[in-house]
Amino acid sequence: MNAPVRQPDTTRLVLECAHLARRFGQRTAVDDVSLSIAPGETYGLLGPNGAGKTTTIRMVCGLLSPDAGTVHVAGRPVSTSAGPAKQLIGFVPQDVALYPDLSVRENLRFFGRLYRLPRRRLERRVDEVLDLIDLGTRARDRVDSLSGGMRRRLNIGAGLVHSPTLLVLDEPTVGVDPQSRHAILESVTRFGEEGMAVLYTTHYMEEAERLCDRVGIIDRGRLVAEGTPRELVALVAERDRVRLTAVGGLGAYTDACRRLARVEGAARGGDHGDLVELVVKDARSLLPELLDLAHALDVDIRSVEIDEPDLEAVFLHLTGTALRE
Amino acid sequence: MTALAVTSATLARVLRDRTALFFMVLLPVAIIVVIGVTVSGFDQFRVGLVTASQAGPVARELTAELEEAPGLRTRTYATADDARTALRRAELDAVVVVPNGLDADVRAGRSVAVQVLVEPSGSAGHGAVSSVSAVVAEHAARLQAARFAGEETGSSFDDALTLARGAERAASPITVRSETVNGQSDFLPLGYSYSTPTMLVLFVFINALAGGAAIVQTRRTGVYARALAAPVAARTLVFGETVAYLLLAVLQSLLIVGIGALVFDVKWGDPLAAGALVTVWALVGTGAGVLAGALFRTPEQVHAIGPALGIGMGMLGGCMWPLAVVPDWLRSAGHAVPHAWAVDAWTTLLSRDGDLAAIVRDLGVLAAFATALITLASLSLRRRLTTGPGA
Amino acid sequence: MSAVLAIAAKDLRQRLRDRSAWVIVFLAPVLISALMALAFNDNDEFRANLGIVDLDRGPAATGLTQVLRSPELQGTVHVRSYDAESAARRAVDTGEVHAAIVVPEGFSQSLHGGGTEPVRVLDSVDYGLQAQLARAITESYVAQVNADRLSVATAVAAGAPRTDIPELAARAALLRLPEEVRTQGLPDDPLKVISYFGPSMGMFFVLFTIGFGARGYFIEQQQGTLDRIAAAPVGRGALLLGKSVSTFVYSLAGLATVTFVSWLAFDASWADPLGVAALSVAMAVCVVCLTALVISLVRTEQQAQGLASIVVFALVLLGGNFVFASGTTPAIRTLALFTPNGWALRGFTDLGTGVRGWDAVGAPLLGIAAFSLLVVAVTALLLRLRRTP
Repeated sequence: MNAPVRQPDTTRLVLECAHLARRFGQRTAVDDVSLSIAPGETYGLLGPNGAGKTTTIRMVCGLLSPDAGTVHVAGRPVSTSAGPAKQLIGFVPQDVALYPDLSVRENLRFFGRLYRLPRRRLERRVDEVLDLIDLGTRARDRVDSLSGGMRRRLNIGAGLVHSPTLLVLDEPTVGVDPQSRHAILESVTRFGEEGMAVLYTTHYMEEAERLCDRVGIIDRGRLVAEGTPRELVALVAERDRVRLTAVGGLGAYTDACRRLARVEGAARGGDHGDLVELVVKDARSLLPELLDLAHALDVDIRSVEIDEPDLEAVFLHLTGTALRE
Repeated sequence: MTALAVTSATLARVLRDRTALFFMVLLPVAIIVVIGVTVSGFDQFRVGLVTASQAGPVARELTAELEEAPGLRTRTYATADDARTALRRAELDAVVVVPNGLDADVRAGRSVAVQVLVEPSGSAGHGAVSSVSAVVAEHAARLQAARFAGEETGSSFDDALTLARGAERAASPITVRSETVNGQSDFLPLGYSYSTPTMLVLFVFINALAGGAAIVQTRRTGVYARALAAPVAARTLVFGETVAYLLLAVLQSLLIVGIGALVFDVKWGDPLAAGALVTVWALVGTGAGVLAGALFRTPEQVHAIGPALGIGMGMLGGCMWPLAVVPDWLRSAGHAVPHAWAVDAWTTLLSRDGDLAAIVRDLGVLAAFATALITLASLSLRRRLTTGPGA
Repeated sequence: MSAVLAIAAKDLRQRLRDRSAWVIVFLAPVLISALMALAFNDNDEFRANLGIVDLDRGPAATGLTQVLRSPELQGTVHVRSYDAESAARRAVDTGEVHAAIVVPEGFSQSLHGGGTEPVRVLDSVDYGLQAQLARAITESYVAQVNADRLSVATAVAAGAPRTDIPELAARAALLRLPEEVRTQGLPDDPLKVISYFGPSMGMFFVLFTIGFGARGYFIEQQQGTLDRIAAAPVGRGALLLGKSVSTFVYSLAGLATVTFVSWLAFDASWADPLGVAALSVAMAVCVVCLTALVISLVRTEQQAQGLASIVVFALVLLGGNFVFASGTTPAIRTLALFTPNGWALRGFTDLGTGVRGWDAVGAPLLGIAAFSLLVVAVTALLLRLRRTP
């Protein structure tokens, strides 16, 4: 697994991961993932649950040691022991990781101290971060008295106190109410604008499209495609995305669609399991065939949508499965 | 019936918890053993013996008589220093130093002083001294007789000593005889018959309090909220939980009673009365536990305050030492906690062959405690469940 | 290094905020020690309330009463006179006196020869020791007379003619017992109950902090803050070291408070405050080691709580924290030396009876150190085994 890593001028790249691999027992979680992030770039790691996003993140932050491959942040190697590299990384875990019985300010101060900020600078940074996450008025309140959204903001703030070069956010909007989600996405955009490099994992395509300069699509531990959102969509350029709302034996129908010649990817979806999503070449000419198949399988098609492909379509095309189960 | 569903769920959870089993079975038994072995021999003074390096027959006889004296529990020490240390550490009431050259001195007609070391301010020491004096006096009497006989008849000392031993009855001494007037003890019997009932009282209570922690935890995880969302009245929930913890308390009690009877030979007295007492005490414990479950905010609080409270109340109530040894006012104050009444009832059953009628008053007081606790507990828990934000 | 202190400071701050922590380490031991001190009012350790019924009305009976009231027995024996045996019986039955001595009619006469009824001691099943004392005092009182009689009987048995008995008796009456008891008081201080139980209860509750510390580690893990700390440029051992420091400070504070309050409010006395400090520090170190052991043995917060409780109770039972060491058997006292708290209590006992310096705390410190080292070794082994998958 250890192919020789070519060494370009890595000091210019904020993050360089080369051939990362990691297994847990028999299961391969991450299989030969290489990616790099330039200064000021927001990189999105897009993939469904269980794709290996969190494992990759943990290796990047030095929480987990890879079975193979290397991680460098600004040219410095990252490992599970303390290293100067960790000083540059700001980690925001998926679940809120704060001390509920300490105040907002105490939490920020503590995490800042771990990064060896001198006292005065620490106090200044804490104030700055409090402004940034708009919790200045709640600074002295215990974390367990805050609402969920506020805790999320603080969760992010705690990763910023030491002014990291690379901010790593692991699915920060899962289970978050729309208002807070909006606030989080705004903040990430701002960080990018201020020149921070950001590694952002998500399984929400809209976020990846909106926030990221580049996106890496990861599925079952492998990076299947990488590029700007536009480049990725171009991969399925001459494809259409077809969405059918239907009633009936949709599982069988989806499998049958997948076997059709011009269908490149088919998946069931939708909140009520009544959606079939397809990536096809030339939807309009394929439509009669799809409808015939539905009739034959006793499936009742309620509506048909034909769209320009998006990242979700890209995913479907590349992996044959849906981004969201 | 939904209450029973709650009950069986709780029971299943607890019985699967190994730590709970440790606290309910293993620990009480261990403490029963330790305390049972300790609480004994309140009718003997503890005396350390330091024997002479080369002890002649007379000295050895004195040592033997001290060892066999019924009022003394003796232990021999190799050196005087060891014995002194033991005395200093209050492991002994007195130390008897059998002097060197006892035989020689006695045969030569000299007087011998047997040194006894005591703590000057400890009064048990002086009691021990008196007992030792009595033994020494009896031994000395024979020596005196042997010398006298030797002088009067010219027989050898040793022969005369042998005769003296045989002559004791013929001399018609003034004897001291004991007569027991009060055969019924006011205290629990010693040894395991003390520790088992007192630990039964203590542990059923403490473990019931610990059960409260589980209730607090269940409150916090929102399982209750879920149950209340189903058409289950808070009352039913509370009832179900109470029954579960009551069954656990009774189970634990039966275990301890069983082990006490089979392994430690404890005579629990009148079965009907014992059964009633076990049940009522289980109710008291359950009430306290459910109340704890309602009042405390976190399981850690229960784990922190529970043992302290349980032990404190146990001490006040006479579970760790008999209330007989404490000042009167403290004994009365101790009856503010239910433990004291339970221990009183057990004392009546074990030491005075009491029956149900004899402990009616204690049972009544305990039942009052139980009622008050359970009522308070139900009301608090219901209020918590129905008004608390996510309880 | 500053990371270690930051982690320790955060931990301590959290514990200070937790009210139950205050209760268990500061409040509970103080209250319980106070309760014990009240219960065992030291100077009333052993008392014999004896009744005496003088049916003899002769000088011998009066003499016996005077012996009972003698200065040596003053602190121990309290005497009440009863006119009739029935009154004395009632008194013993109701517990008014622990035992009663009934001097029979003709006792004074019997001292000059002639048989008599025995002196009876009426006792109660609950006060064996007091009855024993009554018997012993009476026996000592008549010992000389009995010895004289025995002397005569022995002389006769050895061959002296029976007809000489009166002269023999007269000569025997001049004899004095060749053996007597001489008491000597120890020069040290008697052990006060509070000097033992103050530290004993303090240690018991401080051992509970093992549970706090161990659970705290798993809570951090569950909370995700452990990950945050791992992602920061702190050394791998910093977390464990920081938590160890906070556990140490917390335990030491608890022990210090209990010993201080025992000394200030309840009159506990130890010969050597430096010795007390040394024992407290040693115990605090031991608590840290035990916390690490528990963390290395379990995987969840609940398991940590459970194992910690078991460890605490096992140590406390064996170590004699719940029983006055003097009251146990030698076997149990030896078992206690397998626990650090057993050693510490021995140290406190010695300090409480006037021994100072290395004599008092030397062996206990070594015992605690040996135990702690063993725990550390086992912990290190477990961690190594865990790390190699």
